[in-house]
Order: sequence, then C-alpha cells, then structure tokens
Amino acid sequence: MKAVIETFNLTKHYPKIKGYKDLALHPFRKQYTVALKNVNLRIEEGCFFGLLGPNGAGKTTLIKILSTLVLPTEGKAFVNGYDVVQQHRHVRQSIGLVVNDERSFYWRLTARQNLDFFATLNNLSSPEKEGRIDEVLHITELYKDANRRFSDFSTGMKQRLAIARGLLSDPAIIFLDEPTRSLDPLSARHLRKFIKEEIVCKHNRTALLATHNLYEAEDFCTHIAIINNGAIKACGPIDDIKAQIKSGRSYILRLSPDSRFTELGLLTSADSILPVPEDTRTFYVESANIALVISDIINRGGSVEECTLKTISLDDVFTRVIEDTQER
Amino acid sequence: MRMLILLLKKLFAFVKRDFLLEISYRISFLLQVFGIFINVSVFFFLSKLLGSAQMPQLAEYGGNYFAFVLIGIAFNYYLSVALNSLSSSIREGQTMGTLEALLVTQTEIPTIIISSSVYSFLFTTVRVIIFIIIGVFVYGLDLSRANYVGAVVILCISIVAFSSFGILSASFVMVLKRGDPVASFFSGISWLLGGVYYPVSILPSWLKPFSYLLPITYSLEGMRLALIKGASFYNLLPSIFSLLLFTAILMPVSIYSFQYAIRLAKRDGSLTHY
Repeated sequence: MKAVIETFNLTKHYPKIKGYKDLALHPFRKQYTVALKNVNLRIEEGCFFGLLGPNGAGKTTLIKILSTLVLPTEGKAFVNGYDVVQQHRHVRQSIGLVVNDERSFYWRLTARQNLDFFATLNNLSSPEKEGRIDEVLHITELYKDANRRFSDFSTGMKQRLAIARGLLSDPAIIFLDEPTRSLDPLSARHLRKFIKEEIVCKHNRTALLATHNLYEAEDFCTHIAIINNGAIKACGPIDDIKAQIKSGRSYILRLSPDSRFTELGLLTSADSILPVPEDTRTFYVESANIALVISDIINRGGSVEECTLKTISLDDVFTRVIEDTQER
Repeated sequence: MRMLILLLKKLFAFVKRDFLLEISYRISFLLQVFGIFINVSVFFFLSKLLGSAQMPQLAEYGGNYFAFVLIGIAFNYYLSVALNSLSSSIREGQTMGTLEALLVTQTEIPTIIISSSVYSFLFTTVRVIIFIIIGVFVYGLDLSRANYVGAVVILCISIVAFSSFGILSASFVMVLKRGDPVASFFSGISWLLGGVYYPVSILPSWLKPFSYLLPITYSLEGMRLALIKGASFYNLLPSIFSLLLFTAILMPVSIYSFQYAIRLAKRDGSLTHY
C-alpha cells in the first residue's frame, strides 16, 4: 500500500524563551526544548491513524510540521509524497487541517460566508465552490444553519464547521487535532459518531487524529502510534500493539469460597497481583506462566474457582507504554 | 492568466470579508465620517487664524495654509495605513486565532498579508475623498487647477514606497509580536520632518537634510504641487523619481526581511503565537 505520510528521524527543538536574568548573564547561550526525537512514522493510504499521547507529548508539533506551519530541526517528512519543507505548496494542496480552536473563524460572519472565504483561498473556482460548500454543509449537517452567524453556533456546531472547512478542498489527507477536546460528553459522542460514519466509513479518507482520548482512538482508528516525550513508543495496528503488550499475561483469577489460602500477595510466581476492589476472592494477576501461579496457590492449600484471560483495552496498552517509558 | 484571475479573486475575497466585518459594526462607519468632519473643521479655523499672517514658506503652495494642511493630513492617512495595516493584519490573525487557518490554505503568506491590507487602502481612499469633498464644498478649498492624473501617479508610487516600511514592520511583528520599532519610529519621524503640518523649508538647516531621507517628503511635495498648483508631469518628475528610487531600494530589503521573519517564526514554532 502507498504511504501518504512518512517521517524519517524527524526531530524538533524549540528555543526556550529566556528570562531577563538569562538574557543579561548569558545573552548568546541557546537553550532548547525537545518536542520530537527521531520520529519515524509510515501511514498508508486510507488508514485512520491515531496519534496518542499525554499533554505535551509532541502530537500537535508533529501535526504542525506535517501541515507546514512549523519547520523541523532535523530529519525529513513527506506528505502525499511531497517534502514538507521543500514542497510546502503541494503539501498544502493535499491536506485539510481541523483545529480545535473555535477562534479560527470570523465570528461576525455566517457559516457560509466563512466557508466561501476559505474556499476562495483554497483555489476553488466559483462554480465548484458553491457546490462544494453545500456538500460539506450537508456532510456536517449544518446546511440549515449555513446563514447563521458563527457566533450563534454551539461549540459542537463550531467544531463541525471546522471539519467542513477541512473537507472543503477535498483533501487526500485530513489532520484532526483533538477535535472533541472542548466538547461536553454528549456533544463529543455525537461528533465521534459523525466522524466515524462520515469520514471513516462513507468517505474512507486517510486521517491522522491526534488525541489523548483513548476511547476515541479505539473507536475509529485502525492504526495508532503512542508518543511520549517527543518519541514514538509503540506504532502499528491496534490489535498488534495489544498482542505485543499482552505477551502480556493479564488474568482475572477467582478463588473458591472454601479456599484456605487467600493471601495471594505472598506469591512470588506472579509478576503482579492486585485485588479487585470490594471483592476479597477476585484478583488481577499478571504472569508469564499462569499454570505455575495456580499450582502455587493449590500447593498452599488454596483452590481456584475460575481463571480468565483479561481482555486488554487500549487504556491498558497506553498506561503500560507510558509507565514503561517513565520507568526507563 | 489563470494565476492572475485567482489572485484577483483572493483580493476580492479579503475585501469582501473585511467589508462584511466592518458593516457588522453598524455605528463605527458613521463615527469615522463624523471624526473626519471635526478634523477638517479644526484645521479650517486654525488656517483662518493664521490667514492674516504672511507665510513666505507657503508661497510655493499658493499661500493657503488650509489647502496645505488638508492635503498633508489626507495623504498622511495613506502613510499610516501602509505602515500599519500589514503588521496589524498579522497581529489580528495571531490574536483572533485565524492566522493558522489562513496559513494552511493554498494561498501564500505574502498574498494573505498584502490582501488583508487592500480593504484598509480602499477605505482610506473613501475617507480621503470625503475629506477633500468637505474641504472643497464646505470650506471652499480651491482645486480648480489640479492635475488629478499626476496626483494619482504620485499616490500609487507613494503607496508602494510606504508599504516597504509596512512590510518591514510586519516582519518585526511576525517575530517579536509586539514592540515593532519600525512603525512607531517611522511614523513619528514622518510627522516631524515630512511636511505634514508645515513646509519642510521651516525646519532648521541642520535638520532639513533628514527630511529628504523620508519618502513622505517627496510624496506630499508632489501631491501638493499636483493638486494645488496643477503642476505638469515634467514638474512632478523629481518627486516621482525620488519615490521610485526609495521603492527600488526598500522593497527588496523589505521582502527579504519578511521572508526571513517567516522562516524564523516557522523555525521557532511561533508563527501563530501572540
């Protein structure tokens, strides 16, 4: 499959803003914050790719570099085959950026006037412009509200208009930077449903979604990358990453009511054992050899009623990857 | 040809956007017209006060202080717009949050910035026309001998020359966000030495040469000669050539500075910061 986004050792350092004291004492000393470290990424055509990471992980910086708004310090990035530094015009023809900042519209203009303005800036000719504006307004279910001022829109409608703007030029790739961040849970769920149905299912676009909402990523991403402190910690299809983590050995173990051994914390054959809150007989057990743990329990006089493999969620994967990074 | 049509459509889109935003603030336009009326009236009465005094420095402009100062103020508006509109369009985009959305469109940054200032120039032209109409019909300003074509030529070259400083100022705003030294210095020095309120000949001999380093001096000189004295193209040539020389030197420097500022802001990730 053709790669539409590729990065090679992409690195970004931001200069630190100096205080007056530093300016006076060390006027020529340069200090940097590392935002991205040797990021290597390959996103294939038609893929809905989730970029997951905590706040400050480097998600927005990566999207800004890919959108030509920020220059990389080192490394290379290609979008739709074009170099983001050398061929930025072609890159911008290939992308639609959906930002979560509702200030990025003109509040005293109507939705249609806003879209008309941005459509002209995206080189849409007059005949195709009208048709395209109507189309994206229909897709985003804003057609009936097109002649209302942007300032009269709810936060959810504003976010949908941002998506409409991102789709105006019918881009090959769409970047969504935390599209549900400022929404209440109900609006966020509605918007997620809309993104899934309209962008993922119906239009099958290549999309890069930056989010720290794991439910969102699990809901519509086929592939993910987990980024922390500017470095990619895990990357690939969600199921593959879960399988890697699961080598992973997470189980729910339930002791029989008549078990004479209940102090599972004493066992050394498991990597970790945690009691399930408000249940004295059920435990989360992590071990590479569950048979050994069970025989250990039985040898100590205990008896096991049930042992099931725990389904690993993206939440578990994310937590484990981030914690592993911090421990190192 | 297709590129030119696209460019014109974009210019029109910016003008339309700014016009729609302007008329959404309904009372603002009327207040601005009222402000112009007050401005003209103040200088009319001031010139009446000075009318009886002999002012040899005004002789080459017809000796009428009202005509002299009215043209000075009217065309200083253009200087002000050229100096400030580019940088304020960047600043506005940064603070409003629209700049990022504009920068990811298929329109180049220079086109965005320059197009953002077109409405200000058009609006200033309307203001200047109102200014002159009030001067002519209410206070009897005599423009019967005016060389309008010459005045328009001087105006067009002046706008380009002034815009060089505006682009330079925009470069500072792109990087520093606030505290642009170009606009405040150039604006102040032009008021002091450029002959807006008084002829340059009134300046002390040691200060006078500095006024010749400012494009507004040649712009106002040419404009007054064209409108008040009806000077021919031949007589306007010194002003026109001086302004062209300023443009030829300043414009490449400004464009280079602007491109450098964009690169710096993209490198530091501060393009949309405010």
